[in-house]
Amino acid sequence: MNSRPVAWWGVMMLVAAEATLFGCLIGTYFYLRFSTPHWPPDGIAKPSITVPVVLALVLAASVVPLRLGNRLGIALALVLQAGYFAYAVHDFADRLRSFTPQTDAYGSIYYVLLGADHAHVAVGILFDLWLLARYRVLALRVVTIYWIAVAVLTLAVTGTLLSARA
Amino acid sequence: MAIATPVPVRERLERQWAERPGLLGWLTTTDHKRVGLLYFWTTLVLFGAGGAEALLMRTQLSSPNNHVVGPETYDQLFSLHGITMIFFFIIPMTTGAFGNYLIPLMIGARDMAFPRMNALSFWIFLGSAIFLYTSLALGTAPDAGWFDYVPLASRQFAPGRNIDFYCLALIFNGISSSLAASNFIVTILKLRAPDMSLNRVPLFCFAFLAASFGLLFALPALTADAIFLFLDRRVGTHFFDVAHGGSALLWQHLFWIFGHPEVYILIVPAFGIATSIIPAFTQHRVVAFPLVAIAELLVVFIGFGVWAHHMFATGLPTVTLVFFAAASALVIIPSTIQVFAWCLTILSGAARFKTPLLFIVGFILFFVIGGLTGIMFVAIPFDQQVTDTYFVIAHFHYIIFGAAVFPIFGGMYYWFPKLTGRMYFERPGQISFWIIFLGTNLLFFPMHIVGLDGMPRRVYTYPGGLGWGTYNLIETVGGFVTLAGILLLFGNLVWSFFRGMPVGIDPWHGPTLEWTISSPPPEYNFAVIPRVVSAYPNWDPPQRDGEPLVLDVGHEQPVTSPADGVLAEIADMPHESPWPILLAFCLTIVFAMLVIEKFAIAGIALGLCAIVLGAWHWQGAEE
Repeated sequence: MNSRPVAWWGVMMLVAAEATLFGCLIGTYFYLRFSTPHWPPDGIAKPSITVPVVLALVLAASVVPLRLGNRLGIALALVLQAGYFAYAVHDFADRLRSFTPQTDAYGSIYYVLLGADHAHVAVGILFDLWLLARYRVLALRVVTIYWIAVAVLTLAVTGTLLSARA
Repeated sequence: MAIATPVPVRERLERQWAERPGLLGWLTTTDHKRVGLLYFWTTLVLFGAGGAEALLMRTQLSSPNNHVVGPETYDQLFSLHGITMIFFFIIPMTTGAFGNYLIPLMIGARDMAFPRMNALSFWIFLGSAIFLYTSLALGTAPDAGWFDYVPLASRQFAPGRNIDFYCLALIFNGISSSLAASNFIVTILKLRAPDMSLNRVPLFCFAFLAASFGLLFALPALTADAIFLFLDRRVGTHFFDVAHGGSALLWQHLFWIFGHPEVYILIVPAFGIATSIIPAFTQHRVVAFPLVAIAELLVVFIGFGVWAHHMFATGLPTVTLVFFAAASALVIIPSTIQVFAWCLTILSGAARFKTPLLFIVGFILFFVIGGLTGIMFVAIPFDQQVTDTYFVIAHFHYIIFGAAVFPIFGGMYYWFPKLTGRMYFERPGQISFWIIFLGTNLLFFPMHIVGLDGMPRRVYTYPGGLGWGTYNLIETVGGFVTLAGILLLFGNLVWSFFRGMPVGIDPWHGPTLEWTISSPPPEYNFAVIPRVVSAYPNWDPPQRDGEPLVLDVGHEQPVTSPADGVLAEIADMPHESPWPILLAFCLTIVFAMLVIEKFAIAGIALGLCAIVLGAWHWQGAEE
């Protein structure tokens, strides 16, 4: 335990700051929800359950091949993550046709929360690509921690957004 | 406990750690001491700007119905004054300058844990400062106060770019502070000299650890808030728009979830400086060391649970108010522990009241006075009565100027011999203390009275016949007296830099490790990595057991375990690098494009940042 490298501590600092940021976003979601009589507001359909859950699970599963600790594992994870990202962006654009961030506060926090999550996935994909070009053991360890954090945050974001069904 | 090292070792270390000479060396430096000096000079310029804004306001308020500046300018002055002093002076001066320069020296390290990230946080800070002050040059500086409440700050009532500059400057600055905070936490936990277990860490470092944890967990709330406001203003979202399901109070909640820990982030480094100066000038160990260390951390921790006491006048439910009032009262406990520990240490030792200790005594007085008015706010009806009056201004300036800045001045005198190898002039130093002390009281004490008389804050002028004129004139005079004292302080330091008596390694017989190495310290800090058996290593007999840890093969630095300080590995630290300044430059373009709403170009610049970051880490052996 004591021999954790400085890089491990560094990425944990990043994770702590990012998790706090998402904590604030999720807190905002519920703050707005409990000061609004209808959630989601009239005219906006409740979020569907299947697609986001499957997507979040795919992203969570992508951490497993990263644990292989070699280039093949990174490539496998990248396929899952890029697939996730492509479908998530497609879904995001699709959703924009029925309501937008400008519709009301529900739309604002919905898209900002989802967008912040997607941005973290996009950054992670860049990390993967960089790792494939410049493979290093320590860097992979750091990126794996980043992906675990993103997977957990994605589950939290998905759960938050689906809570509108309740 | 200075240990003589053979000359060849020093020569080898000098070759290993020397950086490029000249300007290029400063632009690419990763030496924590040089980064600290860069922070110091930059924040000093910004302190001048914030001070000039304050004195302009004081000049305007010196008599009723005055017209030195108009209301629009006055709004920008008080907003910029607050933003500058908090985000661009105190935080970067304490963490950036004092922390960067001193923490590695105090824990026996040769650099920060992430030297290039350290340089990056400075260059980002510089970019954000230039960004903020560009708004002033364009005449569109933030003008809704440092806490920038909506709906005043929403697009409907503030259509100009003023508030966009506010949002983006704080997000930008927050990146820098988060990087710096992470770096301090990892440095203090992992880079301590072997055997420096947590109970042997100087209290200075505990204070900076507390401030860094505070920054790391508080800044995201401000960032989220500023992002929401920017989106509301320029993209058309409705976070704070009540007509579309948003909430105006949401701004205040997120702001103060950041803002109250922030207040403690400002003051805790001052505690750290105090706990360095007091033992040096009393030659006595700090009383109740573990309690003081825990109290430093506890102040920040409790600070996260008291934010709504800034919102007593917003109509929150009474039960909420009472909870937050009670939580706020809790802060008294760790604060009082520290006040008693400082006072008892001064009384127990053989106190020499030289300039640095005088500033610390002033600090304790101001902290107690400001703390007492702080306790008054816990009484909810009293708070509601004086909210938005000058009483509040008086309270927090006793804390933020009296208590947070006085130790910065004291610290400048205290570590001046270490940085320059010369001694400041003692008599002018003491005179500068008394002038600043007198000026500060003249400046802020009458504010209590006019506040209780009902003078509201943030008004650019006031009518005659209310009995406020004389007090305001005294305050203005106090402002200029303070200025005179500060000028004498810097004049003394500048003169001493050229004409001061040369001093050796340790003019104060200081307790911590920075007093065991030459003044100014060499690039590599410690030729032999020290071994530490107490929190006052310079007062211990030299540790001669075991093989001396020289580490002169590369940029080598021992890495130890976080709790016990057991040597875990020898890390090879990065060298100077051009990438941090380049990345900060690209990031500055991103924010410049965002503020003029060229979102596509901002996106391209962000891509550029990613490329720079990739290239930065391209080098290095495969493992």
